[in-house]
Amino acid sequence: MSGKGQMLSVGIDLGTSQSAIATSTGARHVVDSYVGWPVDMVAKKVIKKPVLIGTEALENRSLLDLHRPLEQGLIKEGSEKDIAAVKEILGHLIGLAGEGGKEQKVRAVVGVPAETLRVNKQQLRQVMRGMVDSLIIVSEPFAVAYGIEALLHTMIVDSGAGTTDFCVMKGRYPTEEDQRTLTKAGDSVDDLLAKLVAERHPAIQFTIHMVRGWKEQHGFVGEPQGKVVVTAPSHGKATQIDITEEVRLACQSLIAPYTETLLDLLAAVEPEYQERVRHNVILAGRGSRIRGLAGELEKALADLGGGKVSAVEDPVFAGAAGCLSIALDADDSDWEKMTA
Amino acid sequence: MADGVGTRSARLPFGGREDRLKRRLLSGAVEDNLRAIENRPPGRLYRRRRVRWPIAFAGLAALAAGALVLAPRLGWGDFAEPTPGTLVATVRAGDDAAASDPDLPPTRVPAAVFPVVVRRVVLDPGHGGGDHGTRTPTGLTEKEITLDLARRLAERLGGAGYEVTLTRQGDERLELRERARLANERAADLFVSIHVNWFEDGRANRGIETYFLGPTDDPWATRLASAENLESGYALADVKQLLESVYSEFRQDQSRALAASVQRRLVRSVRELSPEVADRGVKSAPFLVLVDTEMPAILAEVSCLSSDEEARLLAESDYRDRLAQALFEGIQAYSHSVRKGG
Ligand SMILES: Nc1ncnc2c1ncn2[C@@H]1O[C@H](COP(=O)(O)OP(=O)(O)O)[C@@H](O)[C@H]1O
Ligand SMILES: [Zn+2]
Repeated sequence: MSGKGQMLSVGIDLGTSQSAIATSTGARHVVDSYVGWPVDMVAKKVIKKPVLIGTEALENRSLLDLHRPLEQGLIKEGSEKDIAAVKEILGHLIGLAGEGGKEQKVRAVVGVPAETLRVNKQQLRQVMRGMVDSLIIVSEPFAVAYGIEALLHTMIVDSGAGTTDFCVMKGRYPTEEDQRTLTKAGDSVDDLLAKLVAERHPAIQFTIHMVRGWKEQHGFVGEPQGKVVVTAPSHGKATQIDITEEVRLACQSLIAPYTETLLDLLAAVEPEYQERVRHNVILAGRGSRIRGLAGELEKALADLGGGKVSAVEDPVFAGAAGCLSIALDADDSDWEKMTA
Repeated sequence: MADGVGTRSARLPFGGREDRLKRRLLSGAVEDNLRAIENRPPGRLYRRRRVRWPIAFAGLAALAAGALVLAPRLGWGDFAEPTPGTLVATVRAGDDAAASDPDLPPTRVPAAVFPVVVRRVVLDPGHGGGDHGTRTPTGLTEKEITLDLARRLAERLGGAGYEVTLTRQGDERLELRERARLANERAADLFVSIHVNWFEDGRANRGIETYFLGPTDDPWATRLASAENLESGYALADVKQLLESVYSEFRQDQSRALAASVQRRLVRSVRELSPEVADRGVKSAPFLVLVDTEMPAILAEVSCLSSDEEARLLAESDYRDRLAQALFEGIQAYSHSVRKGG
């Protein structure tokens, strides 16, 4: 126990769109999961840094070789740049969280999309080597479940950018068959919304980043609370367009696949517990902020015996906080085996 | 409806025992990471747990006694002979932290303790005879592919100890109700109908989907179901009645689980070759061939002839082997889960 004085425990949520860290000293940071390297000497001179991370990288993207390393929840096979980008993000977060200059041992629990865990676990361990002293990697939905103590007969639906991860908690560490990954998630909603807006307003000019912003501000399913009107250029002139129906349709595209996947996982739950799981569906990830999502899923479940869907309070940090709980709860003897 | 879930709220029904559950989860996480560190293949944790044999055998006796009581509850009561293997074994595995905690869910007794449950499998190669199913301009037909796939799959299943029957042995026409009747007569434990899809919406589209019987309001599934139902031989009135009698049945859950298992293996295997192939998922639709069967039954659209690339691959023996192998693994995984009691 005496060693714990100089011990820093951290929980990290490594996400497609954002990554977050929470530490035993109470620090919390979040960064957009973008990494960019200057494309040439000129760019290097302008940027004055070897690498940019997060919003800074996004803002300077014209000068950068920009990477979003976990595009579909996966580190692309054999992509050195993406591996390097993951390393930059993790290093950046740990740097933000550490107390400069102090000699500390760092124990990290990193939560990653279930698909990454399945495919890139070895790779991730290698990436983290030298950055932390010991390391446990878990799937993101498991971390969320652990953090909010929804450990038994619950279903976590982690609605992220590249993927939505489903995980049913059966009182055991989730196996592959307790989890599902869908690529129907924030990015697919953005793509659909862009398509719908382009069809309805052919003259309007917009980027996918604008579309994402509209969704994040106005995203809803079910009944609209008012008209969704946004401004975008048309023939060079700022124009207001009503995209209420497009936003609804795009967000609504998640409901059917979510319901189908819920049922799919439920079918593998013992019959006597299915009811309890159906009444303990918990939305996480920032996609859970789509207004009315929980209600619409409940409606879909209502036809199938009923259910209750709620959302975590803080989707930005729920994963990192869960990872931190795991880091703090694991025994010293466990940690000794987990040398990075 | 959408009330927030607090951080660290006391959601667990059992105050003090929560810690033991956490210990179990933590040691699961540690074990999973150890496996990566030691470069062991990713396994299924619960299968590796040791069983306390004395307890297991005591439990076995009790189970044998309770077999007939429990079987119907698990949805297998309608089938030929309920075997002990279909039961949920409430014996706890030797997981130290949670060994004797009645509120934690039971871990399963390993499969080897029980006899195999899924023994007879009826494979149904779609179409046949004058009914070609879908076909490419170059003359590759669904009926030929499905029969060949069924044969390859039968060989694998046979090798693993299943009794396999094909609804048709050669290029013959068979009504859907005949196919179902055959499966029922054989008292099959599983029925797997094999088909190849056709997507109207473009040659670039490639996807896999697996169906079980159930209602649908998906227009695509309805269209597909009516295409596959053409040769039914049922009167319309029969159909309606049949549908109503089956939708509510428990069999649906088992069929869904089988469908999910098969779909997953198919997608995974095909994506090793072609990562772009779409996972169109597990769906329910009113396929008549599934209606009249009395056992868990699925219809797998394993590929699609509308895609030039799929058509090219489907002409190759290697690709057919791959599909057959994936179907085999899906069935195998499902029957293992049944043996575990799930
Ligand atoms: N208020 C919001 N309403 C709807 N979607 C949102 C909102 N805020 C963020 N999102 C979307 O949530 C997704 C990111 O969720 P996040 O949990 O950060 O994912 P990841 O773990 O993949 O990084 C993105 O698609 C983003 O556009
Ligand atoms: Zn067919």
